[in-house]
Amino acid sequence: MIRIRRLTKRFARQPALLDVDLEIGAGDALALWGPNGAGKSTLIRCVLGLLAFEGEITVGGHDVRRDGKAARRLVGYVPQELGFYDDLRVAEAVRLFARLKGVPIRGVGAVLDGVRLGGQERKRIRELSGGMKQRLALAIALLGEPPILVLDEVTASLDACGRREFTDLLGGLATGGRTLLFASHRVEEISALARRVAELEAGRVTAIVDGGDFMQRLGVGSVLHLTVASPQRASAFEALRTNGFAPRMNGVGVLVPVPSSQKAAPFRVLADARIAVEDFELVSTERASALAEEMHR
Amino acid sequence: MTAALTVTSDDRAGSRPPSALSNVVALGMRQLRDAVRSRWFALYTLAFTALGLAVSYVSAHAAGGAGVSGFGRTTAGLLNLVLLIVPLMALTAGAGSIASDRERGMLPYLLAQPIARWELLLGTYLGLALALFASVTLGLGACAAVLAAMGERTDPGSIVWLAVLSCILALGMLSVGMLVSVVTRRASVATGTAVFLWLALVFGTDLGLMAGTIAFKLRIQTLFGLCLANPLQVFKMWSLHVIDASIDVLGPAGTYALDTWGSALSWIFAGALAAWVVVPLGLATAIFARRSPV
Amino acid sequence: MTTLALIACLALGVAAEPGSIADRIAGAAPGDVIEVGPGVYRERIRIDKPLRLVGVGRPVIDGGGSGDIVEITAPNVEFRGFEVRNTGIDLDKENCAIRVLAPFAVIEDNVVSDVLFGIDLKGAPDSVVRGNRIGGKDLDVARRGDGLRLWRSDRVRIENNEIHDGRDAILWYSNGVEVRGNVAHRCRYGFHLMYSDNVVLEDNEVAENSVGVYFMYSHTLELRRNRLVRNRGPSGYGLGLKETDRFTIEDNVIVGNRVGVYVDGSPFTSKKPGEFTRNTFAYNDVGVTFLPAVRGNVLWENNFVDNFEQVCVLGRGELTGNEFARDDRGNYWSDYVGYDEDRDGLGDWEHCSERLFESMLDREPKLRVFLLSPAESAIEFVARAVPAVRPEPKFSDPAPLMQPIAAKASAERDARRGPLAAAATALLAVGGLAFVVARSGLGLARETT
Repeated sequence: MIRIRRLTKRFARQPALLDVDLEIGAGDALALWGPNGAGKSTLIRCVLGLLAFEGEITVGGHDVRRDGKAARRLVGYVPQELGFYDDLRVAEAVRLFARLKGVPIRGVGAVLDGVRLGGQERKRIRELSGGMKQRLALAIALLGEPPILVLDEVTASLDACGRREFTDLLGGLATGGRTLLFASHRVEEISALARRVAELEAGRVTAIVDGGDFMQRLGVGSVLHLTVASPQRASAFEALRTNGFAPRMNGVGVLVPVPSSQKAAPFRVLADARIAVEDFELVSTERASALAEEMHR
Repeated sequence: MTAALTVTSDDRAGSRPPSALSNVVALGMRQLRDAVRSRWFALYTLAFTALGLAVSYVSAHAAGGAGVSGFGRTTAGLLNLVLLIVPLMALTAGAGSIASDRERGMLPYLLAQPIARWELLLGTYLGLALALFASVTLGLGACAAVLAAMGERTDPGSIVWLAVLSCILALGMLSVGMLVSVVTRRASVATGTAVFLWLALVFGTDLGLMAGTIAFKLRIQTLFGLCLANPLQVFKMWSLHVIDASIDVLGPAGTYALDTWGSALSWIFAGALAAWVVVPLGLATAIFARRSPV
Repeated sequence: MTTLALIACLALGVAAEPGSIADRIAGAAPGDVIEVGPGVYRERIRIDKPLRLVGVGRPVIDGGGSGDIVEITAPNVEFRGFEVRNTGIDLDKENCAIRVLAPFAVIEDNVVSDVLFGIDLKGAPDSVVRGNRIGGKDLDVARRGDGLRLWRSDRVRIENNEIHDGRDAILWYSNGVEVRGNVAHRCRYGFHLMYSDNVVLEDNEVAENSVGVYFMYSHTLELRRNRLVRNRGPSGYGLGLKETDRFTIEDNVIVGNRVGVYVDGSPFTSKKPGEFTRNTFAYNDVGVTFLPAVRGNVLWENNFVDNFEQVCVLGRGELTGNEFARDDRGNYWSDYVGYDEDRDGLGDWEHCSERLFESMLDREPKLRVFLLSPAESAIEFVARAVPAVRPEPKFSDPAPLMQPIAAKASAERDARRGPLAAAATALLAVGGLAFVVARSGLGLARETT
């Protein structure tokens, strides 16, 4: 569906992308992985035809430069943050974009229900929380069932709760046979959505790996951050350790690295030990080490 | 959730891609709505109407006491007001549009939709233009109402003409504003540039040309030609031409223009203003198509 | 002449009515009344005995595009109720519709159209020209004749005529003439006096001529309650005064002319000042223009309303020889910037004209192209703020009025409030509609189908 050939993009002579070749087939889900400044967003903007570039990009066979409108018609796009007309009402925004996409709408309500924004039609966009805005952006991206979904760090500006909710929503969609191209530096997003991962570094694709392999290469999948009341924290730590996990303590609970396919296992262990988990969060390894350090400070 | 969406929207096969016109209209309506709800629109409209009413009242009062009616002089007062306010309104509105979209990060999101860039630019332009039309006609309409109520016998045609020409002037200045908006990165810079341009057009060029006329003893045809380069002068001359049916009020240059061009004068003025509408907007479109929206 | 006319009639093959008019005149006795019924009479007429010629149902006398048409050579002739049309266009021969060559004529209620000269009184004192409509030929101004002309015809009364598209309505060497209630439109000079004294012009409307009223080399003149409007020819004076004496200009409305009043060498000889009072000068390019040497005029209780230039001295100079007040009453100036703290109806400061842009215009007329531009206002603002660049005042009014004097002649005959209200409604409706459409966001709320 998306074919990128020898893509080079320079900003004031500084290359942001160098000779990138990527092919994303129908139904594929490719994650762009890399640190900030690696070129993930730049690549996505090139695909959307927002930036001038060298090389060639086609979306569904349409050259994004020569036939950008047709190319973008196949794409639903969710940005990192919906910077949008604050004054517009939710329903009006949906109608505007439906019209731009040429999608007839029978009822805005149903569209909003799909992203759990039911009943918010009359709200102005400025009144929405960050998570709600992102879900609105998702609803707009999905208008007209585009075969391709392009996401650019969609959860980066959300809090933990909003992030999890949004990832769940997306997880449900990934199974819909849609082609997915997304930039992320969150392990749990990649593990939930990606079939393949393209690793970017300083504008170059350094590796393209299978999603599972990628998790393996990172050492483990993700790290579960479990909040446990302090009286039980030590016993929770012990229970997990005896069951083969490598937990670490921090101020509010324990951090448990888990393989991507067994994220629920620690819950079973703690349930068996009759230890109540008050809250949990799936975090990246970087974040986990940051959280672990918090305890020492 | 996919199911829910599928239920509410038709099959892809059933939906046709919208025409460029449809996109322009949708984007224009959005811009219009945004503009009309904005503070600048309310402020400008109020200021324009209030000043217009003051001009109308004062001139109708002075004339009424003397038992004479406007004979276009009320219109001339309004014309002066239009010269001052409409360009400021249009320039800043245009300058603020794309630049602030860009600054708020709205631009890449909009352009990631299946629309062409010129559609966005034209839609924005038309939306703002309509907002300006509304402002101008409301203001001048209120003035006409006050004049009618005061028994002023200003020619109704002249005020309608003034409204029409003001709208054309607004189109031209909006066009320049859009060009400013497209080439600047920050909204504040764009607005500053627009205000600077306004000062230059309203005062700078005229004062410079006056000085030039005295210093270099400009020939009359040169002076008239240079005046045609300033859209505000063109608007003023055109208004006097159609409202007073004569620009001989403007002294030797006016008489020269009448003698030389006669009935073609309207077309010359129309052409000059049309150039101010088309050229900056065309340039803006060309630049916008190439520039990164980020 | 009569035979000529007869031949012309025969040549044209016009079926004679119960007799041509010329025949009936020939057959009439002095003092008879001849009533002429409707129809088109293609003939030339000479009335050479005292008769009353009365058209019934407006009969037409058609000159066929050459020569004169009606000539009155006997005194005490009355000619009324006709349409006289289609003279020749020979300026040297002064082809004329109605020529009167004897005193005590009454020319009344005729329509004179498509003529070179309209009504021409030569040596016809004590005549009356009343209620005629005189329309000239559609010719270049230089090739037109006078709509109305008096030559050595004293004490004539010219009343309620309408003269349009002619050259002048002109008085030559005709004293004691009264001109009342006439309308002159689109002529060269509305009313033009040459060497004619003791003339009164009252309640006339003189509009859209090249020059409205021009007094030359005449004295003892009264111009009262006239409307001199939009006379905008190359000189474009509402009223011009050239070497004129003992004139009173009062209660006139002088509006929208290139120059409201142009004063050249008047008063000329007499010690009596030229008097201008209770006139309204409004919306002229220049209210009053004085030539530099002019002195001896008094202007008081006039309204000067929004003339682009209120008072102008051609070629720069001061107006010290003229007064702008009498008995401590000055004029109303719409651009007066003072105030009236003691509430006596007079401004507490004298009114001086010291507009920088005006003095620049006097130096460089080309700058007029910047009239009405914000730059002009900017210059005046600077002149007010910075005394160093302020020009010398041209004149001063020691007792400016705070309120305008009510005008006796109205500026326009019919108020057209309706169309203006309609225009207002239309503009408000258009603007309001755009506004409502915009606010409701119709385009977004509508379901796309």
